[in-house]
Amino acid sequence: MPSDSTGHSGDASAAQQQFLSLFLRSEREIFRYVALLVPNVADAEDIVQQTALALWEKFDAYDRSQPFTPWACRFALNKAKQWIERRQRWLALLEGGLAEELAQRREELRPEMESRLKHLESCLGKLPEEQRSIVEGYYYRRDGIEKLAEHSGRTIAATYKNLQRIRQALQVCIENAAKGV
Amino acid sequence: MKIVFPSRDFDKTVAAACHGSASDEQARALNEVLRSDAAARDEYILRLEIHSRLASEPDLFALASEDKIATSEKILPLRPPRRGTDRKRTWVLALAACVTLLAAGWWGLQVSRQNEPKGTTSKAVAMLNRVVDAQWNQRDEAPRLGAPLEPGWLRLKSGLAQIVFYSGARVAIEGPTEFQLISPNEALCRSGKLTAEVPPEARGFRVDTPQMNVTDLGTSFGVDVKDRRTELHVFKGTVEFQPTGSTVRQNLKEGTGAMTESSRPPKLIAADPKAFASLFDLQLKSTAAELLRHERWRASAGRLNEDPSLLVHFDFEQTDTSEWRLRNASGRKNVAPDATIVGCQWTEGRWPDKHALEFRSVNDRVRFDVPGEYESLTLAAWVRVQGLDRQINSLFMSDGFEAGTVHWSVRQDGVLALTAIGSEPREYQICTSPPALTLNQFGLWVHLAVVIDGSAGQVAHYLNGIPASEHALKIKPPFRVGVAELGNWNAKGFPRNDPFMIRNFGGAMDEFCLFGRALNENEIRALYSAGKPQPDAAAELKTN
Repeated sequence: MPSDSTGHSGDASAAQQQFLSLFLRSEREIFRYVALLVPNVADAEDIVQQTALALWEKFDAYDRSQPFTPWACRFALNKAKQWIERRQRWLALLEGGLAEELAQRREELRPEMESRLKHLESCLGKLPEEQRSIVEGYYYRRDGIEKLAEHSGRTIAATYKNLQRIRQALQVCIENAAKGV
Repeated sequence: MKIVFPSRDFDKTVAAACHGSASDEQARALNEVLRSDAAARDEYILRLEIHSRLASEPDLFALASEDKIATSEKILPLRPPRRGTDRKRTWVLALAACVTLLAAGWWGLQVSRQNEPKGTTSKAVAMLNRVVDAQWNQRDEAPRLGAPLEPGWLRLKSGLAQIVFYSGARVAIEGPTEFQLISPNEALCRSGKLTAEVPPEARGFRVDTPQMNVTDLGTSFGVDVKDRRTELHVFKGTVEFQPTGSTVRQNLKEGTGAMTESSRPPKLIAADPKAFASLFDLQLKSTAAELLRHERWRASAGRLNEDPSLLVHFDFEQTDTSEWRLRNASGRKNVAPDATIVGCQWTEGRWPDKHALEFRSVNDRVRFDVPGEYESLTLAAWVRVQGLDRQINSLFMSDGFEAGTVHWSVRQDGVLALTAIGSEPREYQICTSPPALTLNQFGLWVHLAVVIDGSAGQVAHYLNGIPASEHALKIKPPFRVGVAELGNWNAKGFPRNDPFMIRNFGGAMDEFCLFGRALNENEIRALYSAGKPQPDAAAELKTN
């Protein structure tokens, strides 16, 4: 397990520990940064993996006086672009400088989004059981759409549609909560 | 295709992007609207943020679940196993190969924190299910039949043995074999011969040999390790193998196999079931015997359900394991309705095709309500104890401390305890057996029963059909159940954080009976005999 204490075991292992500790703390944020460009969860995770390896290779060059996450996100952006270049569909989605534009706009929107997203947990708690179970299956258990469809007795298309509706309901809920409705 | 914002098309296309199912055409149209319309862009960013938070913040789910239980007693599958964890671990291992330090990633951390064991917990990963003329070459004492097996070496000199991993995988080995148990889903074979049968829930079961790593992708294979050579035979389904030191994985289909010698590249061979005949025979006999036991128990359970004093009978036989209701199979189910499963995980019961519920987290429980007053009560359950982590580990407890209710539990030291609560304030009686459940019974299915006989003024504890202790009962009937839980306790207003008040059970249950009368010793023994996982003497098969 990584820990913040640099131990007995020399420079290399101290650096490893430091890297892992920094990386694990930033990983969720890096994931969300990547997911803005490549929203599909499994693909975004693959890109985060590749980013982790690239970060470790270049960890010597990291300036410890600077925050880790922005440094890591620059790598993530490069890795995401490399990944996108090999995939026609994602390339089409992000062409014309849209990737950079989205990433930048997300930074600007951050305070506003935080004020809404802090209600996400309580909104999840308000979902009816069936919806809650689907969203939990998809995002938390990572059950796979076929299994979720099978369990709910719906088609795959209907299950995707259902996920879309649930996210919409969550969005309405967090927006109302942020407005104090 | 052109998309405007806001529109249904926009909603649909954003969702398709999240699910990774957008077409090229949709991707192009989305790009256009996002570049030309600032409002669409902001909306897109927010929607993707919701999507990626859900995917990256497991806490959102765990915490919301606990809340719900505290406030509304809603039913939720808590902390289910995460598919994502496997993926995660693979890449972290790749990373670790670079940094040599193994980190489990935050998902891994999350999971390990939640399941952090406290107190006595069995480390067992498998059990020794059957043996035929087995001679062992163990450094310490030879493994006992039916005993839980902890990670470590099994050295079978001759004969046959079957090991059931807690993942559900069944491995038969033929002596001489040196076999190391690593985890519930992982083993190593240094030399010898084995067959593995892997049910769907144990998919990913892995056997390593000096020459290759074998990962089962469903059903059945054989491995033969001799000198510096490993043969892999796939009898059913698909198996993935990876020669040691190579990064290449290859899938082998049914009827094929592979052979590696020293470090030479693998050769493809045809699967030869004949070479594993004795092991198949053992697996077959064992499966057949278990199906038969299960069938016999079903028949007797059917008869039991007609007993008018049987208020609740959870047989855990329902086939739909996504179901949150636990069916009361008793003929008097109009007395007590079905129960609600909160959290818990479905797992294998006494027999491979029998279901059980596993209690692991502090929130796992089964809740039900039995109205009425009774002069006597009998409680009986088949349980597999995984660990006695709490001072008091609940088997069955009515909520709170209501007059006339009882709490049935196992204490940390293995003592069976029954607390009867009287009608006066602070009036209660605790009847405890001598330590009955010891470490070497952990991981095994045991039958526990307690009889609260109001008319004779007596309490009796039973373990596997045999009386464990008897006590004079001072609390007077009538007794009640009311709202009660299996595997946990709702303290109802008592401080939640007091460790003494946390009483969740660690283990599995695959049958529970509640009678509104006192059963006698013979009846308890009959319950045990009808349900015991395997006949006492027949487990050791003889070769013909």
